[in-house]
Amino acid sequence: MKIAVLTKAIPSYESSIRIDSSEKWIDESIVNFVVNESDSYALEEALQIKEQLNDDSEVVVVIMGSESNTSKVLKDGLAKGADRGIFIKNDTSETDPLSIAKIFSEQLKEESFDLILSGLQSDDLGSGQTGVLIGELLNMSTATLGIETKMEDGKIKVKRELESGWFQWVTLPFPASVSIQSGINEPRYPSLKGIMGAKRKEVKLVDAQSVSDSKQEFIKLFLPKTEKVTEKIEGTVDDIVSRMIDILKNNLKVI
Amino acid sequence: MKFHIIEQIVVTIFLLSGISFFLYHLLLRLNIVLKGKLDFSINHLPERLLRVFNEVILHKKVVSGDRKFSGLMHAFVMYGFIFFGLITINHFFTAFGFEFFTESLRHNYFLFFGLPWAILCSLGILGLAYRRFVTKPKALGKFSSTSALVSFFIFTLMLTYLIDEFHLLNNAIALKTNWWVHSSVIGGFLFLIPQSKHMHLVLSPFNIFLRPFEVPDHPAIPIDLEASEEKLDELLLDLSKLSKNQALDIFTCVECGRCTEVCPANRGGGILDPKYHFILDLKDPMLESNDVNVVDKINVEAGWECTTCQACTEVCPVGNHVEKADEIRSFQVMVEGDVPQEYQKLLHNLQETGNTEGASSSVLLEKLPEYTPDKELVLWLGCFAKHAMDPNFVKSVENFTKILDSAGITYGVLSNEQCSGDPANKLGDKLTYKMLMDNNVEELNKVKKVTTMCPHCVVNLQKEYSKYHEIKYEVKHHTQVISELLDEGKININPGSLEKVTYHDPCNLSRTLDEVDAPRNAIKAAAPEFFELDESGKETLCCGAGGALWWKKDTGKGRTHLLRAEQVIESKTDTVVTGCNFCYGMMNQGIDPLTPKGQDKIKVKDVADIVAENLS
Repeated sequence: MKIAVLTKAIPSYESSIRIDSSEKWIDESIVNFVVNESDSYALEEALQIKEQLNDDSEVVVVIMGSESNTSKVLKDGLAKGADRGIFIKNDTSETDPLSIAKIFSEQLKEESFDLILSGLQSDDLGSGQTGVLIGELLNMSTATLGIETKMEDGKIKVKRELESGWFQWVTLPFPASVSIQSGINEPRYPSLKGIMGAKRKEVKLVDAQSVSDSKQEFIKLFLPKTEKVTEKIEGTVDDIVSRMIDILKNNLKVI
Repeated sequence: MKFHIIEQIVVTIFLLSGISFFLYHLLLRLNIVLKGKLDFSINHLPERLLRVFNEVILHKKVVSGDRKFSGLMHAFVMYGFIFFGLITINHFFTAFGFEFFTESLRHNYFLFFGLPWAILCSLGILGLAYRRFVTKPKALGKFSSTSALVSFFIFTLMLTYLIDEFHLLNNAIALKTNWWVHSSVIGGFLFLIPQSKHMHLVLSPFNIFLRPFEVPDHPAIPIDLEASEEKLDELLLDLSKLSKNQALDIFTCVECGRCTEVCPANRGGGILDPKYHFILDLKDPMLESNDVNVVDKINVEAGWECTTCQACTEVCPVGNHVEKADEIRSFQVMVEGDVPQEYQKLLHNLQETGNTEGASSSVLLEKLPEYTPDKELVLWLGCFAKHAMDPNFVKSVENFTKILDSAGITYGVLSNEQCSGDPANKLGDKLTYKMLMDNNVEELNKVKKVTTMCPHCVVNLQKEYSKYHEIKYEVKHHTQVISELLDEGKININPGSLEKVTYHDPCNLSRTLDEVDAPRNAIKAAAPEFFELDESGKETLCCGAGGALWWKKDTGKGRTHLLRAEQVIESKTDTVVTGCNFCYGMMNQGIDPLTPKGQDKIKVKDVADIVAENLS
């Protein structure tokens, strides 16, 4: 079975964020890029499926972005046990989920993967659409929010997380694209042998083909304002009380 | 007594087969030991000989702690063995008509050595047997048939000897029978010793002599990512092997269970049982495979529970370096890629940000003066202080700077200080450790004197780094700096209030850095009502944070992290002082919820706090 794992390099939570001069994206030069959390669970799930099947199955890590942002994440995936990588080079920061899905499916078309696993959503943009869009573009069966997978008679059963504690089991024929929820397994740590071996694994470099009809565009990006306002309320008790009620009602809207 | 030629032949065959059997098993084990990695060291010869004198002849570790009685009994038995050496040789010589004792010499030897030691040895073995089979302390483990046999053997030896010397038998046949019983028991020992824990009576003096000086003593694991595949395979294979010292430890173990008795993980309700997990579980695999590549036989879960506090090594009476958390963790991380999730987060933080907390800046670092070459000291903060892992500890750092200011010492912090790597090192991720260490050594080799309030940092900056690099700087723990300033009269203290003050020895400071005096010197100057905790100095009890367990996920199970705080509360002290930021944090975390209602909360202080508060 050929399994693709779509991974994304995202700014780490600890990075301090600054908006760049275009005001449409962040200044990437001061940001530390790490693997998107749910993607690392998707990779672990893929590796476990491969180990279970114990045949000539292949796990391929697919990543898009600039080389400097993604190389560490790609290497880490290979070190953990993916067999090879596909690096879709794209130095512009694409944010439209459909455009991203189109770029991926263009490159993945020829590979004809049996299974595509992706993280549920990226921790930076959080659209949660890429996996399912790629599945549709490539004519695959799709499921989102997978919290458990089972291989059965040439099909994959996926337990999906619904709202308020409800679950749903769906059975998908291959090829299938499934997005994976964080926390469904215990991701492994790259062993020394894995780290050394990663250097010799094949990474296919392809250029992202530009998509002209982006439906979504960032107009302006800004950091949320953090400010403290202190107001000293003076006057008679009645004045103070009525001013406080006014603040609680109209400014803070808590009563 | 006259012996027939047939009797002489039987004695000869019996003795030769016993000796051959004994030597065969001894050499079999030595052959395995010599397959271990690294070599034995015999440097510091006088210290090693002194150690053998103290720990073998004087029995210092055998009689330590709660084992004063059993230790004394053991001494009686051991000295009995030694004094009976000549008697035993003479005993077998009589079968061939030789007597190297003249009648008067034999009589005098009997009166002054034989008789008293036969009595003491009998008392000793009866005392030990009573303890093992009647009081049955938990540490000794399951019923041991060889111990029963040994007790019986030794008692029989003494009895037959006394019967002979007191001429209690006048019948030739009875006399001869007595002689044969005595001989059979001695021969029996030759068969019994090598296959049991009683091998310690041969191996322990050598094991104590050869014991490494560093505690802990884990070899460097130098990783070169550019090296060839063969070199990597060699390194990975090495990770599954014990060192010669460790292999000898396994065969020397006397199974007394002291290591398990002192183990904080075990006492806190964990599964870790160092006697089995770090020592005895490896013995059979070594004998079966005739090799030392048995690291993967260590219980993984037990290995992750270890606080690496080294209490087990400190207490061992036969010179074992017990702790093998480093070995099994290194194996799990680097060979298996199997790391608990909470530690993966920690290791990622270290890789991405160079600190344990994944922080991008530090308020404290920015507040303190930066080091410049005209300043005397580098003040190394460490992640704990730098990222306010216990916000109260920031005040302790300020108190230390107050002391330095008062003594007129100039100091500064390094803005590019990274984590010393201690958690990565202790978790077995030597690659992440190397990355942090290489960075730090480059910066530190530009300076001369470094001081820090974190003993974990001292151990790494000074001892661990020098296993990999040439170190050109000197590191002192802040309690050492303070103690020196006091001795030199550069700071003066007015003894403070008359409240009760005690000190919790951090494992890294007491056992690894061998420093128990400096902090006491400083505390006693400030606190007249100082008293010691039950387990203090090098016998201290770990706070529970060592071995990177500070970052262990709280599963609600186990009390390892509360044991010491509980002891401190029971001591009825007003203040507990410590010399390690992690211990400080653990004390605060433990004392808060454990203090009974209505009782005043014990104050937790660093040595710097109690000194700074009482500066005159």
